[in-house]
Amino acid sequence: MDTQWPRWEVFKQDRPDKPYEAVGTVHAPDAEVALLNARDVFVRRPECHSLWVTPEAAVVRLTAEELAAQPAWLDESPGNAAADEIYHLFCRNNFRRSMVAVTYVGQVVAASPADAMRQAVQRQHADDTVLWWVVADSALTRSNDDDIASMFEPALEKTYRDQSTYRGRIFEGRRRGGTVKEVPGS
Amino acid sequence: MNDALHTALTNRLLASADDELILAHRNAEWTGHAPILEEDIALANIAQDELGHGTIWYGLVEALTGDDPDRLAFFRDASQFCSAQLVEQPRGDWAFTMLRQYLFDAYELTLLARLAGSAYQPAADAAVRMRNEEIYHYRHSSVWVRRLALGTEESHRRMQRALNELWPLTGQLFSAQPGDEILMAAGYWPDFDEMKQSWMSVVMPFLEQGELVVSDLVDGPVDRSEHSGHLNGLLADMQMVARADREAVW
Repeated sequence: MDTQWPRWEVFKQDRPDKPYEAVGTVHAPDAEVALLNARDVFVRRPECHSLWVTPEAAVVRLTAEELAAQPAWLDESPGNAAADEIYHLFCRNNFRRSMVAVTYVGQVVAASPADAMRQAVQRQHADDTVLWWVVADSALTRSNDDDIASMFEPALEKTYRDQSTYRGRIFEGRRRGGTVKEVPGS
Repeated sequence: MNDALHTALTNRLLASADDELILAHRNAEWTGHAPILEEDIALANIAQDELGHGTIWYGLVEALTGDDPDRLAFFRDASQFCSAQLVEQPRGDWAFTMLRQYLFDAYELTLLARLAGSAYQPAADAAVRMRNEEIYHYRHSSVWVRRLALGTEESHRRMQRALNELWPLTGQLFSAQPGDEILMAAGYWPDFDEMKQSWMSVVMPFLEQGELVVSDLVDGPVDRSEHSGHLNGLLADMQMVARADREAVW
């Protein structure tokens, strides 16, 4: 029997003027715990302004290969159903190694996940787009502005958690021809 | 600051520092052993935060007495520590660790909220700095206590057993030390009776929502010089490396 908790996708916004990025997943029994786990796993280091989490199953994904196999995505009509739900769109534009799976590109109002995806590929269809995600707004659980002070701001002081802090020290020590004795943050 | 006030303030700061250091060590014992990876990371985070709070408190002691924080942490024996028995207890099961953390987080939040208005400015500044982090700790521990208390028959039973063991130890957090009246008169430290009432008004309804039953508060330790038998073993473990080479520079 699989006793693992369900997986949740984590979207992190570093600053108010930056897009949300899919930074990875956490396991959690429910949305509230997922949000806390997202904070503990992905915001140990600066910086973060806002977090979204959503059940992994709530994310609809399409790759460039799948789109090539079914080009009808690009010309399907919206159908008759009333478009009444907000969906968030995310894309990936390269195959470079990255901690980020997809980046936020905007939102649409759609009648269904398929309708949202159709709008996504029509709206964001550059030659280099390799992956699209859509997520219904109602499937997201978000941190709010009141959470910033207790959830995210304390991490800004903890530069010793950032490995680049150590890398800098080590190089500095090597340049001096000595070993590193001072531990940052101690 | 006169001698009596200086001594009383030093003792209170040391008690807070020791509580944080010992609790951080107990929580750090879970690293690599927590029931799920995300919680392993979360509790290691919290342990690191509490250790950071301990460092702040020891720093305030150092400013008053000149004592080096590392010497205070690693070269005092159990009889010289001022920690409460609540934080000295072995980590137990996950229910015990989460409930202890919850009870302590609620206490620390109560203390920090009041200390933020302390007439002793370094303590007020420290309290403001720690409080946001503690709000998150409280959120984390209360999420877990609520879920385990209202979860399965087994998780409820474990949570109730943890409460039975921990509750008698909570009184020591709020018991008066010699010199407290001087601190309160100076506006340096809050009134412990009022703090306890405030803490109870938060903790009691929360535990009741979890269908947990609080036993009558009897026979717990009072004075912070009364330690559990567990502190010696913890210190032997925690201080071993530092004491192996007393002159080492880290």
